[in-house]
Amino acid sequence: MLLLSVPSDRLQTPGRPADWPAAFQIAAASLALMVVGLALERAGGFLGPMSRALTSGAVHAGFFGLGWVLGEGGRPGWRGPVIRLGATVVVASLASRVVPWGAIAYLAVPAVLLVEVRRRGGFGHIGFTCPNGHAVGLGVAAGLFLGVHLIVTASLTLGYAVRMGSTAAYLSAIAYDICVSAVTVEWLFRGAIFSWAWRSWEFVPAAALATALAVVRYLVDPNLPATPEVWLGSAFYTALVGVSACVLRAWSGSLLPGYLATVTFFLAYRALGN
Amino acid sequence: MLLWPCALLAGITAAIAMLEAGPESALRHAYLLPTLWAAVAAGARGGGVIGLVSGLLQAPTALPAVERLGLTSTTIDGFVAIVMPLVLGWGAGRLIDQSRERADQLRAILDVQRALSREASLDTGLAQAAEKIRATLGADRVSVVLSDASGEDVIVTDAPGRGQVDPDSAAARCLRSGRAVMLADLRPNLEAGGPSPVRGLVVPLDAGAGPLGVLALERAGDMPLPFRSAAEEIATHLALGIENVRLTVRQRRFTEELETKVDAATERLRELDRAKSEFLSVVAHELRTPLTALQGFSELLLERELPPERTTRFLRHLHGEAGRLGRIVTELLDLARIEAGRGLDLKPEAVNLAELIERNIDLFGAEHRGHRFEWSLSPELPAISADRDAIDRILKNLLSNAVKYSPHGGRVGVVAGPAADQPGMIELSVEDDGVGIPAEDLPRIFDRYVRVANPQTASVRGLGLGLALVHGLAEAHGGRIEVESLPGKGSKFRLLLPIGQTQFLANFPNTSA
Repeated sequence: MLLLSVPSDRLQTPGRPADWPAAFQIAAASLALMVVGLALERAGGFLGPMSRALTSGAVHAGFFGLGWVLGEGGRPGWRGPVIRLGATVVVASLASRVVPWGAIAYLAVPAVLLVEVRRRGGFGHIGFTCPNGHAVGLGVAAGLFLGVHLIVTASLTLGYAVRMGSTAAYLSAIAYDICVSAVTVEWLFRGAIFSWAWRSWEFVPAAALATALAVVRYLVDPNLPATPEVWLGSAFYTALVGVSACVLRAWSGSLLPGYLATVTFFLAYRALGN
Repeated sequence: MLLWPCALLAGITAAIAMLEAGPESALRHAYLLPTLWAAVAAGARGGGVIGLVSGLLQAPTALPAVERLGLTSTTIDGFVAIVMPLVLGWGAGRLIDQSRERADQLRAILDVQRALSREASLDTGLAQAAEKIRATLGADRVSVVLSDASGEDVIVTDAPGRGQVDPDSAAARCLRSGRAVMLADLRPNLEAGGPSPVRGLVVPLDAGAGPLGVLALERAGDMPLPFRSAAEEIATHLALGIENVRLTVRQRRFTEELETKVDAATERLRELDRAKSEFLSVVAHELRTPLTALQGFSELLLERELPPERTTRFLRHLHGEAGRLGRIVTELLDLARIEAGRGLDLKPEAVNLAELIERNIDLFGAEHRGHRFEWSLSPELPAISADRDAIDRILKNLLSNAVKYSPHGGRVGVVAGPAADQPGMIELSVEDDGVGIPAEDLPRIFDRYVRVANPQTASVRGLGLGLALVHGLAEAHGGRIEVESLPGKGSKFRLLLPIGQTQFLANFPNTSA
C-alpha cells in the first residue's frame, strides 16, 4: 500500500506538472495563425474563402497542441507531434474549403492523432484507453437521447425541422464534427483539462471547469447564429453533453464513450435546418 | 437498477404521446413515479439521472408555451414541472443515501467491534475489521497499522509480517502528528497512472489517549466529505475496540498471574502447615526422649542405692541429656526469633577460624570415631570479624549434618581459605560422601522445618532447623551459604564470609525469603 510504503513527500509532489511555457508557445502560434486568417478574411480576394478555414484550423491545432502538452506534463519532445498534428488539421481544414469533397481530408486528423499517440505512448492517464461495451453503448444512448431531444425541442419551440439541404455539405459538416471538433473537445476538455483538474479536485468542480470551458468554446464559434435563443439552447445542450461526457469519462476511464455521445449528438444537430 | 424506472418513463411518455395529452396533462405528474423509484433503488445518482431525464422529456411540451406566451403562471408551472423531478429525485435519493450510509456505518462499527471481541488474536481481528471497513466505505484498499508506545511493535493488517511501514510514509506522519492526512492522487510520480486519480486518506486511531495507530484507505476516484467523516468515525470506534481488546488481554493476563500466585501461595501455606505439623511431632519426640531419660535416671538415683561408679555414669547420662535438651530449647528460641523477625544478638570479635575449625574437628573426631575427618587449612587464612558463637554453631551444624548423613567409615572433609573466585571473602567448605540430596530438594533445604525424605536417613534425628539457622547466620554476617550435591555421591556445603569488617544486619533476615 502506497500510503504505508512510500515516503509521503514523493506522493505529494505534483506529478506531470503542466508545461506552461510550451502551452503559451502553442497558444501564441495558434493566435498568430488566427490573426492571419482574420486578416485574410478582411482583405477578401481569392484568399477570402480560405481565411475562415485557416482560422478554424488554427483554433483546432491549438486545442490539439494544448491538450498534448497538458497531458504529457512537461515531457520533452512535444514539438514534433504537435506540429504534425496542427499541420494536418490546418491542411485538412483548407482542403475542405478548396477542393470538392475535400472534407475527406479530415479523416487524416484522427489517424495522425492515433499514430502520434501510439508512437509516443503514456496517454492512458487522460483517458486514451479502450472502454468496455457498456460504456460505449451508454455513450451512444446519451448522445442519441440529447440529439433527439434537441430536434424535438427545437422543432416544437423554434420551428426548426429536420432538413437535409445538401448531402455534401451535411457530410462535410459531419466529417468535421467526427474528425476534428468532437476529437479536439474530448482531447482537450475531457482529456487534458478534466483529468488534470480531477487529480487535484473532486469530480464536481473538475467537471464544472471542463464543461464551462467547452461551453465557451462552442459559444464563441463564429458559425453559431448569434441569437439569444440559439445561444441559450447551445449553452444548455453543450453543457448537458459536456457533463454527460465527464460522467462517462470518470465512470469508464476512457474518452471514447464521451466522444461517441458528442458525435451522436452533433449528428442530430447537423440534421436540423432552419 | 435503473432499467425499470427507464421503462416506466418510456411508458408514460408513450401514453402522453398516444393520448395527445397537452402540456397540462395530468399524466406528466406520473413522471415522479419512476423518479422516486430510481431514488429509492439507486439513491441520489439514480434519482438525479432519472429526474433529469424526466425533466428533459417534459421540456418539449413546456417550452413552446414559453415561446408563445412568455412568462405566465402556466409557463412558470411548466418550468416547475421540468425542474421538479430533478430536485425531487436528487433530494429524495440524497436522503436515502444518507440513511443508508449511516446504517452501513453503524453496521460496520458493530462488525468491527464484533470482529475484535470475537477473535483471540488481535492481528486476525484487525484483518477482519479492515475488510469490513473496506466493504462498507467502498475503498479499494484498507490497512490498519497498530503501534505500541515505543513504536517498535507494529502490526500491519494487509502486509505480510510486521514493521512494514516506511518511517517517512503518510501513515508514519499521521501516527506522529495524530492528525489525518489526505492525498489527492497517490500515483502521479510513481507510474504512468490509471485514468482515475487514486485518493489516499490516513486517519489516526485515537480513543482519547493519543494515537494507537492509523487507518489507511486508498480509493480510485472521489473521496468526498461524507466518506472522510465516516472513515474518521469508524476509526474512533476501531480505536475504542482496540483499547477494549488490550484492556481485556491485560485483565486476563493479570487474572492468570493472580491465580498462579494464589495457587503458589496456597501450596506454600499447605507445605508450611505440613512442615509445621511434622515439626511439632518431631519436637515432641525430641523433647520427650531426653525428658524420659532424665526422668528414668533421676528416679533410679532417688529410689535405689547404687554403686558410686554407676551413679556417676547415670549422672553423666543426665548431664548429657540435659545438654541436649538445652540445645533443642536454644534452637527453638532462635527459631522463635526468626519467626518474629527479631535480630539475633551477635557480638562481632576477631575470630581465628583455623583454631575454631581444628577444635571442632577434634571434638567431632573424638565423638564419631567411625568417621574419617580430613581438613586442609590455607596458611593465608586470616582472622575474621564475626560472632564466635554463631560461627561455631554454623560449623557444628555443618559437621553434624556431614556425620549424620554419611555412612559409618565415611569421609568428612573440611577446607578453609581465601575464596579464589570471590575476592575479599573466605570460604569454608564441609564435604561428605553421604547420601546426597536430590536436585529437586536443593532449592528448599535452607527453608525452615524442611527435612529431605530419604529412607536411608529416616532414623536420623533432627528438627529441620539446622540449615535454616546456618543460612540466616551466614547472611547476618554479610556472607552466604551454597550447596552442591549428588544423590549417592555426597554433598558439599560452602560458606562464604567477608574478610573485612562484617556488616551485621540490623535485623536477622527471614530465612524463608
